[in-house]
Amino acid sequence: MAKDIISVKDLRVWFQVRRGFIESILSEEQKYVKAVDGVTFTIKEREIFCLVGESGCGKTTTGKAILRLVEPTGGEVAYFGPGKEDMMKEMVEVALAKDEIDEDKAERIMERGGINIRALSKKRMKSMRQKLQIIFQDPYESLNPKQSIYDIVAEPLVVNSIGANEAEREERVTKALDDAGLRPPKNFMWRYPHEVSGGQRQRVGVAGALVLDPDFLVADEPVSMLDVSIRSEILKLMLDLRESKGLSFLFITHDLGVAYVFSDRVAVMYLGKIVEMGPTEKVIKNPQHPYTKALISVIPTPDPKDREEKIILVGERPDPSDVPPGCRFHPRCPSVMDICRSEEPKSVFVSPGHSVSCHLLIMQGAGKS
Amino acid sequence: MALLEVEGLRTYFKTQEGTLKAVDGVDFILEKGHAMGLAGESGCGKTTAALSIMKLLPANGYIAGGKINFMGQDMARVTGEKLRAIRWRDISIVFQGAMNALNPVKRVGEQIAEPILLHEDVDKEVANKRVKELFELVGLNPTRVREYPHEFSGGMRQRVMIAMALACKPRLVIADEPTTALDVMIQAQILDLMKTLQRELELAMIIISHDLSVLAETCDTLCIMYAGKIVERADSVEVFRNPQHPYTQGLIAAFPNVKGERVMPGAIAGNPPNLIEPQPGCRFAKRCSFTKDICLNQEPPLVEVLPNHYAACHLVEPR
Ligand SMILES: Nc1ncnc2c1ncn2[C@@H]1O[C@H](COP(=O)(O)OP(=O)(O)OP(=O)(O)O)[C@@H](O)[C@H]1O
Ligand SMILES: Nc1ncnc2c1ncn2[C@@H]1O[C@H](COP(=O)(O)OP(=O)(O)OP(=O)(O)O)[C@@H](O)[C@H]1O
Ligand code: SF4
Ligand SMILES: [Mg+2]
Ligand SMILES: [Mg+2]
Repeated sequence: MAKDIISVKDLRVWFQVRRGFIESILSEEQKYVKAVDGVTFTIKEREIFCLVGESGCGKTTTGKAILRLVEPTGGEVAYFGPGKEDMMKEMVEVALAKDEIDEDKAERIMERGGINIRALSKKRMKSMRQKLQIIFQDPYESLNPKQSIYDIVAEPLVVNSIGANEAEREERVTKALDDAGLRPPKNFMWRYPHEVSGGQRQRVGVAGALVLDPDFLVADEPVSMLDVSIRSEILKLMLDLRESKGLSFLFITHDLGVAYVFSDRVAVMYLGKIVEMGPTEKVIKNPQHPYTKALISVIPTPDPKDREEKIILVGERPDPSDVPPGCRFHPRCPSVMDICRSEEPKSVFVSPGHSVSCHLLIMQGAGKS
Repeated sequence: MALLEVEGLRTYFKTQEGTLKAVDGVDFILEKGHAMGLAGESGCGKTTAALSIMKLLPANGYIAGGKINFMGQDMARVTGEKLRAIRWRDISIVFQGAMNALNPVKRVGEQIAEPILLHEDVDKEVANKRVKELFELVGLNPTRVREYPHEFSGGMRQRVMIAMALACKPRLVIADEPTTALDVMIQAQILDLMKTLQRELELAMIIISHDLSVLAETCDTLCIMYAGKIVERADSVEVFRNPQHPYTQGLIAAFPNVKGERVMPGAIAGNPPNLIEPQPGCRFAKRCSFTKDICLNQEPPLVEVLPNHYAACHLVEPR
C-alpha cells in the first residue's frame, strides 16, 4: 500500500464577516464565512486527489490552508512525505535538549506522527513550503506581465534564498522550464508572458511551482482557462511529473469531466464540507449523494443516446455565512426528509473507500457492517 | 424563405501589422425557430461573425464581402434608420461576458426597459409591465426589478441579459458564450431556460460556445469554425456521430466524456494560424495528421459530403 503524504483532519477555515460599527455594537455575536467547515481526507504518495464542487464551495481555501497560505481556524494538517524523518529528528532533538519532552515521548512521536504543519514556526514553515507548492487558478492574473519568464520562475529561489549564485539559479530555472515542457528553455526564458500562448503560460505557472523541487502540488483549476485543444497537454504533463518525480497532487476543478479522466480519487465538496468521496470511477459512474447525482446528471452530453434525465437543482450557490442546520444540502435536496432539517448526517462507507454523508444512505443501512 | 442566410461572409480588422482576416468565408442558413451552434477555439472568429450579423463591429472592423440575408434584407448593406429598426427589434444579442457589464448604478429593471422605450412607441408604464413579464419569463422574481446588479448572482445576471435580449420580442437571438463563466448547475438552469424560450416563443437562436457538448444539447445544427472559416456543418447529432473534418474529429476527441470510457482526451498539437497572412491551402494543414501535398497549396471548398452534411477537407469526396 502506498504511503500517505498529506492528511487533513476536520480542517476548518472561517473568515470573520466584517461588520459596520453600529452592527458591531448591536449584536454581540460574530458571524463567520465558513469557507471550509470540517474537511477530512488523506492523499497518498503519487496520488492525484481531486476536489470538485460549485464555485464558492471552498476548494481553493482548502488548498491554500494546507500550505498555510491562509491560516486554518481549526483541524489538523500533517505531512508524511519525503524528508519527514530528518525534519522531525531535528525538531525532537531541539525539544529534548530543552527538556520539553522525554525520551519515551520522542520515540513515540518519531514512530507515529507526521509533521503537524499548523504548529510549524515561520522558519520551519519556509523550508516546508519548498515541499508543498501551488499552481494558481488563473494563468492570466497570476503571472506578472512585467517580469520575464526567467524572473517569474526564479522568484521562489530568490525568496527562499536558494542557489549559491546566479549560475546555479539559472541551472534550476532551465531544468524547471524543461520539466514543464517549455523546450528548449533558452527560447522561452527571456520572453514575457504576453509573448507566449495560453498553454505555454500555464506551463510557466507549472515551472514556477517545480523550481523548488516539491513533493506535493496543489493545482488549482490549472486547465479551466485553457482551450480544450490544449487542456490535455497540460494534464499529460502532470501525469508525466508524477511518473518522473513521484509527485502527488491535490487537483482542484469544477469540471467533473476532467476529474473523471485524470484523478485517482475524487471528493465532492458542498458548502465547506465533503459530501462524497471515493475512487473516481465509483463516484462518477455510481454516485450516491443526491448532490453528486444532480451534478453528474447535468453534465452536457453530446450523444442523445447517453442522455439521462437531468436533476436541475433550483437556487444558486448557497451562502457560507449562513449554513443551514442539519444536512447543509437540505434546502436544495430533491430527497429531503424530516431528519435532514435537524441532524447533520455523518459520513458512512457505501463500499470500500467510498464514503457518503447523507441520511438516505444511513437509513438504507450503509456503514453498518 | 429562411430567416437568415449568410453567404461568403468576410469580416476583416485593420491592425498595425496589416489586415486581420477574422472571418473569411462563412456560409450557413438558419430557419425560423431553429437553433444553430457555432463552435471553435478561442480567436477563430465566432464573436466577429455574430457582430457582423448585428452590424456592431468595432471601429477598425468592416465587412469585406458576402451577404447577410435577414428576412429579405441584406444586413451587410442596410444602414441608418432601417438598420436601427431591425437591430434589437428583430435580432438581438447577449454579448460575451455581458453579465459583468451591466451598469452598476442603474436598477436592473430600468436597464431592461431601455430598449423597449427606445424602439417601441410605448410609455413607461407599459414598459415596466413588460419588464415584470420578462422577469417572470426568465425565472426571476418580478419583485426584484428595482434592485441593482450587485444584488444579483452571476446566474441571475445572465437571466437579466437574456430578458434584455427578449425585450422587443425579436425573431432571432444570438447568445455569445451564454454559460461559459457559470457553474455546471447554473449552466443547466440557463440552457434549460433557453430551450424553453426557444420552443415557446418560436425563437431562432445562434448559440456560440467553445463547448461542443453544450451546443449539442441545445442546437439543431452545428457549425465548426476554424481560423475564420466554417470547416464542417451538419445536424448536431450527425456532427458527433460522424465527424468528417480532421479538426472536428480532434475537437470531439479533446472532450472528456463522463458517459464513456475513462481515457485521457487527445490534444490538438500546435497553434491556430496567423490571420494576417494565412498560409495558402488548408488553414488546418499545419496541425492536421493527414496532410497531403494538395492541402498545402489548394484551399478545400466546403462541399456536401453526405445529405445535409458539409465539410471542407481534401480527404472527403463531394457526394
Ligand atoms: N479572504 C476571504 N475573506 C472572506 N471570505 C472569503 C475569503 N476567501 C474566500 N472567501 C469565501 O469563502 C468561500 C469559499 O471560497 P473559495 O475561493 O475557497 O471557493 P472555490 O470553491 O475555490 O470557488 P471557485 O470555484 O469560484 O474558485 C466563498 O464564499 C468566498 O467568498
Ligand atoms: N477589434 C479588433 N481588432 C483587431 N483584431 C481583432 C479585433 N477583435 C477581434 N480581433 C481578432 O479577430 C480574431 C477573431 O476574434 P473573435 O473575438 O471573433 O474570436 P472568438 O472566436 O469569439 O474567440 P473567443 O472564443 O476567445 O471569444 C482574433 O484573432 C482576434 O484577435
Ligand atoms: S484539407 Fe488536408 S490538411 Fe486540411 S484538414 Fe483536410 S486533410 Fe487536413
Ligand atoms: Mg477556487
Ligand atoms: Mg468570442
